[in-house]
Amino acid sequence: MEQLLSRPEIQSAVVPFVIALVVYLGLRKITASAWLWALLVAFLASAALINGLIVNPLTGTRKIILLVTASFVAAALLHWILRSDNLQRRFTTIISQVALLWVFWAVVGRMDSASMVLFLAGSISLVLVSEYLFVRIIDKPAQLHGAGFSLLLGVGLSATAAASALLGQLALALAAASGGALLGWVLSGSVSRQQTRQSIAVLPYFMAPALLGIAAVMFARLPWYALIPLTSIPFAVSLVPQKSSSRFVNALLASLPGLVIALGVAYYVWQTGSSGSGY
Amino acid sequence: MKKLLILTALAILPVKAVIGADYTVDPAHTYVSFAISHLGFSTMRGKFNEQSGSLQFDPAAKEASVMIEIDATSIDTGYAKRDAHLQSPDFLNAVENPTITFKSTSATWNGAKPATVTGDLTLLGVSKPVTLTITSMKCGPNPFNKKETCGFDATGSIKRTDFGVTYGAPAIGEVLELQIGFEAVKN
Repeated sequence: MEQLLSRPEIQSAVVPFVIALVVYLGLRKITASAWLWALLVAFLASAALINGLIVNPLTGTRKIILLVTASFVAAALLHWILRSDNLQRRFTTIISQVALLWVFWAVVGRMDSASMVLFLAGSISLVLVSEYLFVRIIDKPAQLHGAGFSLLLGVGLSATAAASALLGQLALALAAASGGALLGWVLSGSVSRQQTRQSIAVLPYFMAPALLGIAAVMFARLPWYALIPLTSIPFAVSLVPQKSSSRFVNALLASLPGLVIALGVAYYVWQTGSSGSGY
Repeated sequence: MKKLLILTALAILPVKAVIGADYTVDPAHTYVSFAISHLGFSTMRGKFNEQSGSLQFDPAAKEASVMIEIDATSIDTGYAKRDAHLQSPDFLNAVENPTITFKSTSATWNGAKPATVTGDLTLLGVSKPVTLTITSMKCGPNPFNKKETCGFDATGSIKRTDFGVTYGAPAIGEVLELQIGFEAVKN
């Protein structure tokens, strides 16, 4: 069993997918935040298998694990506290920007002024744009989960190809969890409750891939420009009409454009990046 | 009392300066290399191309201390893709932790030469005691440039998981065998 759980495909694909599916189906009638809890439990299980329950030394990657975990809890709990949509948006923006600085300041602080300005401007813009694009599709579950799944898959594959299996596995685990929750949403038909619609609910979906993607640029060798098409995934997904009465068809249609972009970027990084994998 | 302390310090310092000697690492003749099992099939070897440091050596008082700083981004296994991977968060996390340091804390002596040097190795921000065995040592003037030089060869081993480098363990070996060739020139 221990040997089985040490395999990367089990840690970052099978385990999070199954857990997210089961938790989503179990909680869908109890709470509108079922998908958040499903992703949280699945991610925690995967992170424990991939990284162990280790926080010392508190590296950038471990900070991301803590922040992603906290973002699920925050998103699931804070919408009960912050009723105003505007307030939630502001709170979400502040959380994500503080998270960005906390993870990367140790390295950014050593940069020269020009590099520091360039990095901060680029990464802050990336997070803001990503947040905006996800908020646009918050009330369309198929598009929201399809975009989250595709974006995380793209970040995971690209990070792996760009020399960090650790960052890649974490993103892939979240992608698999999103896939599990998305399948749960498809299987649950019309009996599931409306999902959380508050803006803060998108926090994990834009913050996790943004932090993992920026970390792959900074700590591994992911070309920075690979993040541009990946960030556009929620926009591409939003262009697909959701007119079918079938949840399966809607989920499939919503995932396809994102998958094309994600796989295209990962293939490009694999072919051209100074990849550490595949030797 | 303050004057007494200052006078005492002034009296001791010159004596230490005469007895002990300070050396600076010669990067051209310092070679930090390692070997690790690759999935049990074979032994992979690599080295670091950039290091600096210092040595204080006083054989009469049987005192020796050494400090080496290694640039983690200079890791070189002869294969660029593997080097990129070794610098990533999977292994050395070199962007966040660009320096690996060894600072000696004690030494044992075999006659006039040190036999072992124990110190703190800091890797990924984690410090652990490591003992290096000195396999050979020589101090004297370099016959070419006439500069007073001390050099030694040392071996040791570390368990990488103790420092939080857990990726691929235990399939990729947990124990790194270290081989260090070290030269320092008298200041």
